[in-house]
Amino acid sequence: MNRDTSPFRPASTGASPTPKHASLTASTNLRYSLTRKSIYDRHLNRTKTSELSKSAFAFLFGEMVQHAQKKVYGVQDLEKKLNQHGYAVGQRFLELLLWREGRTAKRETRILGILQFISHSLYRAIFQKPADTLEKVRENEDEYMISDNDPLVNSYISVPKEMSQLNCAAFIAGIIEAVLDGHCFPAKVTAHTAPSDMWPGRTVFLIKFEPEVLEREGLRHGST
Amino acid sequence: MPADWDIWAVSDWVTKPGEWRNEVMEEGPEELSTGSRKRERKKRRQARETGFKCSALLCSEPRPRCCRWYHIVAMVVYAVLILNKAGGLIFQRDFNPGLQKLTSNDYLILAGTFHGVHAITSQISPTNETGASGLEVLESENFVMRCFQTLTGTKFLVFAEPRQPNLDVVVRRVYELYSDYVMKNPFYQIEMPIRSEGFERHLSAYIKPHQ
Amino acid sequence: MAGSTTSYYFVIIGTKDNPLYEAEFGTFKQGGDGVPKFREEQRHMNQFIAHSSLDCIEDLQWASKEMYLKTVDKFNNTWVSCFLTGGNIKFLLLHDARSDEPIRQFFTDVYDLYCKTLMNPFYEVNMAIRSQTFDQKIKAAAKKYL
Repeated sequence: MNRDTSPFRPASTGASPTPKHASLTASTNLRYSLTRKSIYDRHLNRTKTSELSKSAFAFLFGEMVQHAQKKVYGVQDLEKKLNQHGYAVGQRFLELLLWREGRTAKRETRILGILQFISHSLYRAIFQKPADTLEKVRENEDEYMISDNDPLVNSYISVPKEMSQLNCAAFIAGIIEAVLDGHCFPAKVTAHTAPSDMWPGRTVFLIKFEPEVLEREGLRHGST
Repeated sequence: MPADWDIWAVSDWVTKPGEWRNEVMEEGPEELSTGSRKRERKKRRQARETGFKCSALLCSEPRPRCCRWYHIVAMVVYAVLILNKAGGLIFQRDFNPGLQKLTSNDYLILAGTFHGVHAITSQISPTNETGASGLEVLESENFVMRCFQTLTGTKFLVFAEPRQPNLDVVVRRVYELYSDYVMKNPFYQIEMPIRSEGFERHLSAYIKPHQ
Repeated sequence: MAGSTTSYYFVIIGTKDNPLYEAEFGTFKQGGDGVPKFREEQRHMNQFIAHSSLDCIEDLQWASKEMYLKTVDKFNNTWVSCFLTGGNIKFLLLHDARSDEPIRQFFTDVYDLYCKTLMNPFYEVNMAIRSQTFDQKIKAAAKKYL
C-alpha cells in the first residue's frame, strides 16, 4: 500500500528528465486536470438531461467482454470475471444512488425491501426502467428471481453456440450482488437465459441468500 | 460526390450517393432514453422526407407517404450478401425464391468476382473524376442488385425484384443492422463469416414483413 | 479534555471493521482554534471507544432505516455518533457534547467526499484513504459545522 512506488504517481522534482523535455514535463501535471480541479472539487450530480450513448456503452462493454475472455478457462470462469467487474460497479453505484436520494435515503433492513429497492430504484437508475418481475422461488426458502426481458448489456450481443451457457448479464448480476452485499445481505447472484416467445433475450437473475441472512431475518422480524 | 457511374445507375431514383452515405454515418447511436429516441426518430423522419426523392417511376403520392408506406411494403428482396474488404463472402442469406441456388463454393466465387469488377469500375472511370465509387447498381430483366460499400471497404449487396424502388433504403438499413448486431458483438471476429443470431433475427424481421 | 473547548475524534470504518481514515480536530466555535486537546492516554482511549461502539451499531442498524443513527454509545464523558452508509461503511465521531444537527450536516459532507473518493477507479472499497485533498476537505467541513 506504499503509494510512493505507484506507477501512476507522476515524477516529481526528484528525478529530472532530459533537458530536451524538461519544459514539457514541468508544464504538465498528471495529478490535476488543466483546471487544477481534483475529483473532490467536482459535483457528484449530473444534470437530468445528460444522457449516454447506447452505442458507446455497447462498444465499451464489448471490449470488456473480450478483455475478460483473454484470461479465463471456460464459460463459468468468464461469467465470474464479468460478475467481478459488475461487483465493482455496484459497490460504487450503490453509494452514489443513496447519496443522490439525499435526506430521504434509507438503508433497507428487510429481504423484501432490498429486493424491491433493486428491482425498482436501482434498475430505474441504471436502465431507466424497472425490472420486469420479482418472484420468490417456491421450492427454496432462500432463493429469489428478478427477471429482465431484454437486458441492456445484451442488446447487441449474440453468444456463439459453443458458449450457449454464457450470459453476459452476469455483469448485472455482479451489480446486484454488490448492492446486496453492501446492505449486509450476502448472496450469490447468477444470470440465466430463459427465453420466451416474445423475448428471446429474457434473462433471470437467481438470487441465493446465505443462510445467515434468513436466520437474522427470522430473529429480527419473527418468522418470514 | 457525384455519381460516377451513371451508366450503371438508374439515375432518376438514385439521389446523390454521397448524400445518403453521410446520412448513414450520422445515424449512429440509439440513445438510452425514450425521449431522445423520439427526437432521433423525428430527425430521421425529417431527413427522409426532405433528403430523398421518390424513387418510384409512376408514383404520384406525396413524397413521405409513398416511399415509406406503399412502395416498401410491396418489396421483394431475394437475397442479401455481405463481402469483407478482401472480397471474401462473410454473409449470404436467401429470403425469397427467384434466384438460382448456388453451392457455397460458387457463392464465394461470385463474391470474389464481384469484388474484382467493383475494383475495376472504381479505378477506370469514363468521367475522369477522382474518387469514383465503383459499381452501384446492376439491373437485368430478372433482378436488380444494389451495392453499397462502406468507408472501410465492406460491401453490402441486395438482390431484389427488377424495378424495385428504394433499395438504397434497404441497403442502408442492412448496414445499420450490421453495425449494431455484428460490429457491437464482442464474439464477432472482424472480417470473419457472420454467425450472429441477433443479426439474422433482426434482418429477417426487417425484410420479411415487407412482402 | 481541557476546559471549555471540545475536541473531536473522527474515524471511517470499513466493512471488515478496519479503519480507513482517522482525524482529530478541535472546535472552532466559542473561540476555539481547531487544535485537538486530547491528552496522550485519551488519544489511545478514543480508538478503543470507537471500536467498542461497533457492537452497538451492529445491533442498532437493523432497528432503523436511517443512515444517520445519531448517538449510539457513551463512555464516561464521550459520546459516539454514527452515520452508516448503504455500503456498510461507518463514520464515527467521538464528541463530548450532544448536538445532533451540526453532526448530521458534517456527516452529510463526509458522505459526499466519500462518494467522490469511491468514484476514483484506483480506489476500492475498504482501502485506506490517503488523499491529502480528502483530509483538507474533511477539516474544512469540521471547521464549518463543529
